[in-house]
Amino acid sequence: MVEILKELEDRFQVTDLVQQKDHLAFVSVDKNKAIPMITWLKDQAGYTSLTLLTAVDWLEDGKFQLTYMINNPKKNSQIAARVMIDRENATMESAHHLWESIRIYQRELKEMFGIDFPGSPEVDESFILEGWVDIPPYRRDFDTKKYSDETYFPRPGRQSNDPAEYMKSKMYPNE
Amino acid sequence: MDLTKMFQFNADRSSYPELDANGKPIIDLSSHKYLKLWQGPQHPGVTGNMSLELTVNGDEIVESKTHVGYLHRGFEKLMERRKFIQCFPTCIRMCVAEPDPNEYILSACIEELSGIEVPETAQWLRTLALEMARLQVLLRGVPGQAGTFSLGLGYQWGNYIRDLILDRFEELTGGRVYHMYILPGGVRGLLPDGFKKRMEENLKLVDEFLVNINDLMYNNIVFKQRAVGLAVIPVEWIDQYGVYGPAARAAGIMRDVRKTHPYLKYSELDFEPYTTTASDVYARSLVRWHDLKMTVDLIRQIMAKMPDKGEIKAPTPNVMHWRIPKGETYVKCESSRGEYGMYMVTDGSDMPRRVNLKGPSYTHATALLERLLINANIADTAAIMVSLATCPPEIER
Amino acid sequence: MSIKDLLTPFTAWKRITKEPVTIRDPFNDRPGAERYRGFHKNDVNKCIGCGTCEDICENEAIDMVPFKDPISGDSGLRPRLDYGRCCWCALCVDVCTTNSLTLSNEYTWVTVDPEDFRYTPGVDKKAWDDNEKGWKKPEGSYEFYNINRVEMHHLHPEDRDKSFVEMVKGYSREQAIAEADRCVECGICTATCPAHMGIPEYIKAVRHEDMEEGLRILYETNPLPEICGRICTHKCETVCSIGHKGDPLSIRWLKRYIADNVSSDKYKEILNTKDLSNNHKKVAIIGSGPAGLSAAHYLALMGYQCTIFEQYEKAGGMMRYGIPEYRLPYDSIDKDIDYILSLGVDIKYNTRIGTDITLEQLNKDYNAVFAGTGLHLGRSTGIPGSDNEHVYYATDLLRQITAGEEIEVTDQIVVIGGGNVAMDITRSLARMQNQKFGKVNIITTALEREKNLPADLEEVVESREEGAIINPGWAPQSIEIENGRPVGLHVIKCNSLFDDTGRFNPQCDITKKEFFPGSMIVQSIGQGMDLSFVNEDFKKDLEFGSRGRVVTNAYFQTSVKWFFMGGDIIEGPDVIHGIANGHKAAIGIDNYIQGIDFTPAK
Ligand SMILES: Cc1cc2nc3c(=O)[nH]c(=O)nc-3n(C[C@H](O)[C@H](O)[C@H](O)COP(=O)(O)OP(=O)(O)OC[C@H]3O[C@@H](n4cnc5c(N)ncnc54)[C@H](O)[C@@H]3O)c2cc1C
Ligand code: SF4
Ligand code: SF4
Repeated sequence: MVEILKELEDRFQVTDLVQQKDHLAFVSVDKNKAIPMITWLKDQAGYTSLTLLTAVDWLEDGKFQLTYMINNPKKNSQIAARVMIDRENATMESAHHLWESIRIYQRELKEMFGIDFPGSPEVDESFILEGWVDIPPYRRDFDTKKYSDETYFPRPGRQSNDPAEYMKSKMYPNE
Repeated sequence: MDLTKMFQFNADRSSYPELDANGKPIIDLSSHKYLKLWQGPQHPGVTGNMSLELTVNGDEIVESKTHVGYLHRGFEKLMERRKFIQCFPTCIRMCVAEPDPNEYILSACIEELSGIEVPETAQWLRTLALEMARLQVLLRGVPGQAGTFSLGLGYQWGNYIRDLILDRFEELTGGRVYHMYILPGGVRGLLPDGFKKRMEENLKLVDEFLVNINDLMYNNIVFKQRAVGLAVIPVEWIDQYGVYGPAARAAGIMRDVRKTHPYLKYSELDFEPYTTTASDVYARSLVRWHDLKMTVDLIRQIMAKMPDKGEIKAPTPNVMHWRIPKGETYVKCESSRGEYGMYMVTDGSDMPRRVNLKGPSYTHATALLERLLINANIADTAAIMVSLATCPPEIER
Repeated sequence: MSIKDLLTPFTAWKRITKEPVTIRDPFNDRPGAERYRGFHKNDVNKCIGCGTCEDICENEAIDMVPFKDPISGDSGLRPRLDYGRCCWCALCVDVCTTNSLTLSNEYTWVTVDPEDFRYTPGVDKKAWDDNEKGWKKPEGSYEFYNINRVEMHHLHPEDRDKSFVEMVKGYSREQAIAEADRCVECGICTATCPAHMGIPEYIKAVRHEDMEEGLRILYETNPLPEICGRICTHKCETVCSIGHKGDPLSIRWLKRYIADNVSSDKYKEILNTKDLSNNHKKVAIIGSGPAGLSAAHYLALMGYQCTIFEQYEKAGGMMRYGIPEYRLPYDSIDKDIDYILSLGVDIKYNTRIGTDITLEQLNKDYNAVFAGTGLHLGRSTGIPGSDNEHVYYATDLLRQITAGEEIEVTDQIVVIGGGNVAMDITRSLARMQNQKFGKVNIITTALEREKNLPADLEEVVESREEGAIINPGWAPQSIEIENGRPVGLHVIKCNSLFDDTGRFNPQCDITKKEFFPGSMIVQSIGQGMDLSFVNEDFKKDLEFGSRGRVVTNAYFQTSVKWFFMGGDIIEGPDVIHGIANGHKAAIGIDNYIQGIDFTPAK
């Protein structure tokens, strides 16, 4: 693990290395170097298996974090590459040429986070949602509670009381 | 008598459709050579709420598209506004048939990110619960493969024993389907008195079931005829398409997290996951049969080795405001379908920043299934799907 | 493929002789397992309506609905379930602070009205209310929060019994955060606190390590946090919901932690009191105890010009002149008081109202007057010999110790009294005996029996650790005097204090006698109020209540509109009541001066 991380530092200038456990490390890599690095890991270093690709919305920083997690099944070693991309017009190079399966992840990310992967097969086709008109729902600024309150009606007659406030209203209302 | 000849049906597969320069099929619906056929979302031959949009030529499939979204509940997102403890009843629903791995990986992520050691007894109980979960899934999953060829009998047998295993779950965890037993820090109870004895009685039935099902399915000419050679997954596809667990092991590739990356108490147990190489529906089904057998053995080993008493839960911060420092991790385990993992990101608050569940169905039911169905017979669709044990709720969460 | 493959499947026929396995009547033949998570039950007499179950429910299946009128320690609310939402995870059961909430093993319920599936367990009677089986958290197995208090470090007896050094060390950062983590934020405690402090809120500030926010919350209701953080009677802790299963939160020590961890030079900035307005109205305050200080503080915030008149040399009242230094060091008192004085509050020391200045004069010079003069007259046992000059009152001695005056300390002392004040004088004198003679020889006796001693248990325990003998259950009869000095106290056994009707009526056994030798006797059986500063004419206008106390309304206004009273003379006696009274009176005074009508109900 240590050697491969060292190598990634040299070749792809990865930063923020975190060796989370024996077989799992996280690294941050520049957007432009991400796909070359993953290609290298897959084709040259034995990281042949894609575990997952997903995104994290860092709304406050105006960034999406893409996490490519890939696995070397022979060495049982896993590397997760964090790639920070702008939230505004979020776009990332497609990796569909590397794995048949990755187009599914990319399609989901397009739908759920609004991150585009130009050239990825079917990337614009809806995957899970159909006829969705709101902002991509996995973005942090999509409020699930609000959506559910507006879409489904709450059961009538439900009302609760806060213990402290209720006690105040009954025991010492003037204080 | 050459039975093989008698039952042989050599389909004269069409050469449709033609492929374009990129190897993509050229399908012109207006040519009247093709028909669109929907299998699902309501169809006994799909593994839950999903549908396949098939383009067929005669009875041959030339293209398939997987459609999901019939039960998207947005659990990953819902967890982003729930306290860590509140995620625990939420996450289990990400796979209905086998909810326990959800409980385990969620708890393990939380524990890892907050540096909590799970007590020994709890680890054994977790291992037991996970194997029991596999047992009850496979009791339907193994005979279910024959069910796709209309042999439903074994499924009835398995379902009955599964019900008894659910009884064991009920007495251990208080629930039959959603057990909510493995929670951050440990588990929620020790084995009830007499549990091992009752479990052993049930396991004896499984032993018997294994023999019967072997007779019924694997030595059955019809089953063989239909399953052998069907939907072969070449070894090169394993990583290309994201193939895990039993499906990979049927292709001769050792993929079993319990062995390759032992968690909980698996390193203290003696087992060797079965592999074979034919990589067809028959092989995948046989791997599951062996998995079931191995699970029975594992449960016996666990019950023999585990302590009867001990701490069942490590102290945790107050669950009402448990905050976890900024961090991220991925925890995996072996579900009955293959590697089942959770990626969790925390940001120092009392709720997860992001939870992403990755189950094998995500690729099995999409990229892989779409590929495998090309040139398959319509009647084999269900069999191929079941051989991959696709589970829609884990695709769309 | 072989002929075998054709034949073996037929082995399935052998099952034709098997018995069917179906359960015919699942409603009756198939009860849920021992731990089954079925329908909810609630022991409504055990439940305190803390609402923690509602908070943990990830499905918003619980509402807190009124069941009875709230009382201290019980909100009167009870959880109501909406089975349209519940998923039977039983987190509510596991988190329940009183273990009142459980699940039965019942799982079938048929009804025609969907609204039936909203119910209040324990209140709406259900068939499964008496089911013994069903989910309850396994006894002693786990808790969702730490039910044990984070130990507070105390000086060991041998390190404290010779000096007046503060004995409670205070929490470290880690300890405070860990202790604050135990709170479930139910807020039940707030009603019980006389000042209704924002307890869960400031505990949260400790958790979040936001001392500035914590200090702001403290000062909303309590301008003496250093003091209260040490010696408050902490009634709140007696009702803490966590206390039902384990130790209540150390609310008092957490308050102290906040105050201890903000340096006084930052107070004004944090509390935003750098530039207070001035409305040019004047209020006179008699007495610089907690009541007077609290009134002055809140009036100053409102822009009033306050002047405190204090008969002694220093401010603080009983907090300084009563409570011993080892429990409440003088710097802590000074920190709180100096801040209040820094708000522009004026104080005139060594000025006694009634002798140096009359009350009438104050009325002329000020827009309103608040009196918080406390209880300073020692009460005598009145037994033969109690008028001897070597028989003292505890409060007098304590005041003299604070003032640095030389007091008599003999090598054999008897203290009469079983309350906290008695323990304070016992422990103070024990320290002084130790300093002077190198050993302790004090007997403290009281009417009450051991288990009914009014003093806090820890006070009794610690007194004993420091070498005092606490020997309760005796009624003092007389003080034996020889050559003009006491030589000891005669007592008889006291069996009970109250009769069946609950009246004070001690029953003694004169055959069981005892003699406690002592060359100095201290009486500590309570204090009375000194209203001599109110002249007789004026007293006529004051309305007095049953036990000689002045009647005030909810804003501590007496029948004489410009005259407000609070603290020990009205309510208590403890510091926090004084603070609450002073705060409330400040609001009343403000309304009075502004001419706003306030006719509150008390
Ligand atoms: C030994 C002892 C230990 C105690 N321990 C605790 C404890 O641990 N926790 C707790 O909460 N409470 C404790 N108390 C009680 C607490 O100190 C009092 O309840 C509280 O101080 C009362 O506040 P107050 O403002 O009403 O009066 P006081 O604190 O008594 O203040 C009254 C002030 O008014 C001044 N004064 C009186 N008459 C006049 C006048 N005519 N002119 C000018 N000034 C005047 C007095 O000098 C005094 O400074 C203790 C009391 C004693 C005696
Ligand atoms: S059992 Fe779970 S879902 Fe039901 S009320 Fe309790 S916490 Fe809510
Ligand atoms: S947590 Fe328990 S004590 Fe508190 S309101 Fe709910 S049932 Fe009552």
